[in-house]
Amino acid sequence: MHRIEVDAEMDLLEENRRLAEKNRELLRKKNVVAINVMGAIGSGKTLLIEKTVESLKGYRVGAILGDVIAKDDYERVAKHGVKAMPLNTGKECHLDAHLVHHALEDFDLDGIDVLFIENVGNLICPVDFDLGENYRVVMVSVTEGDDVVGKHPEIFRLADVIIINKVALADAVDANVDKMVEDAKRLNPKAKVIKMDLKKGIGFDEWMEWLRCVLQSREG
Amino acid sequence: MSLDFVHEMSFASAILDAVMKVARENNAKRVKSVHVVIGNLLMLNPEQLKFCYDVVTKGTIAENSKLEIEVVKAKIECTNCGKVFDEYVGICDECGGILKVEGGKEMFLKKVEMEV
Ligand SMILES: Nc1nc2c(ncn2[C@@H]2O[C@H](COP(=O)(O)OP(=O)(O)OP(=O)(O)O)[C@@H](O)[C@H]2O)c(=O)[nH]1
Ligand SMILES: [Mg+2]
Ligand SMILES: [Zn+2]
Ligand SMILES: [Zn+2]
Repeated sequence: MHRIEVDAEMDLLEENRRLAEKNRELLRKKNVVAINVMGAIGSGKTLLIEKTVESLKGYRVGAILGDVIAKDDYERVAKHGVKAMPLNTGKECHLDAHLVHHALEDFDLDGIDVLFIENVGNLICPVDFDLGENYRVVMVSVTEGDDVVGKHPEIFRLADVIIINKVALADAVDANVDKMVEDAKRLNPKAKVIKMDLKKGIGFDEWMEWLRCVLQSREG
Repeated sequence: MSLDFVHEMSFASAILDAVMKVARENNAKRVKSVHVVIGNLLMLNPEQLKFCYDVVTKGTIAENSKLEIEVVKAKIECTNCGKVFDEYVGICDECGGILKVEGGKEMFLKKVEMEV
């Protein structure tokens, strides 16, 4: 018995990157725009998808609802009569390209124009797992505290749209919405930042305008 | 167990999978030490990662092996004035320029020391 030392040089994130590119390629071929909906737990991700499904006329919507074990979000969205699929991670705190790869195999991509993928509610873990999406939406709400944006620079840095939800509750929870918006713009000057309240209908039109704009600009 | 903790667990499993592959290729009897490189922007806590590594290696030939973690830092600088930053803050406090981030997201298994 003797000791050896092997230079491995193995990239441990390579596999996820490879599968994410495969997913992206498949979605491109099917002319589907995929949106990774990320954000804090309970911030309003599922409600955003539900309201969007109801308002987006002229496009066929699909949704993959990620969660550790529950299927509640799936049931909520499926009620609206769109193609939906639950995707449970079992124990992982984020979706990854591999899980989404298998979900896409079973999904009727020919029947949809846009696919929402709700990630596990968490501002840290999903960040470094590209799913093959075209856009990233990151949602937080004022009830997480007005320092929640500043405390999680990475997820906001890599977002395309940043939504500060439940703004009508800001006074009640003593949150400074402007501070949250400023933090978001500072961390990501290119992102679209939307102040929203899904219960009061604030900011929803702005979101739909962004969505229609990216759907119109897709090729094909 | 918090969610963040599960996060280190999934990375620890990824390390173990790679280590076992190297061990099999070399017909190793035991794994003695493992060297990984991780980028600081992956937000992994090295202590928690070590703890999780000890958990996932239990009962394998890598049990009790030492996990050495080398943290490499992202290069963050202002695209306008070139000021270098330790962490990402978005906009340069000197000139208001946009910061550029390079690296900080890598995760490599670099070396495996084994008994064969
Ligand atoms: N007051 C208020 N409540 C909201 C708003 N948006 C969502 N909610 C409520 O917040 C709760 C969580 O909303 P969900 O849509 O389930 O949030 P989520 O981000 O999908 O939650 P998880 O999937 O569990 O992480 C629900 O009770 C919603 O009705 C809002 O703008 N204002
Ligand atoms: Mg949800
Ligand atoms: Zn995680
Ligand atoms: Zn500068």
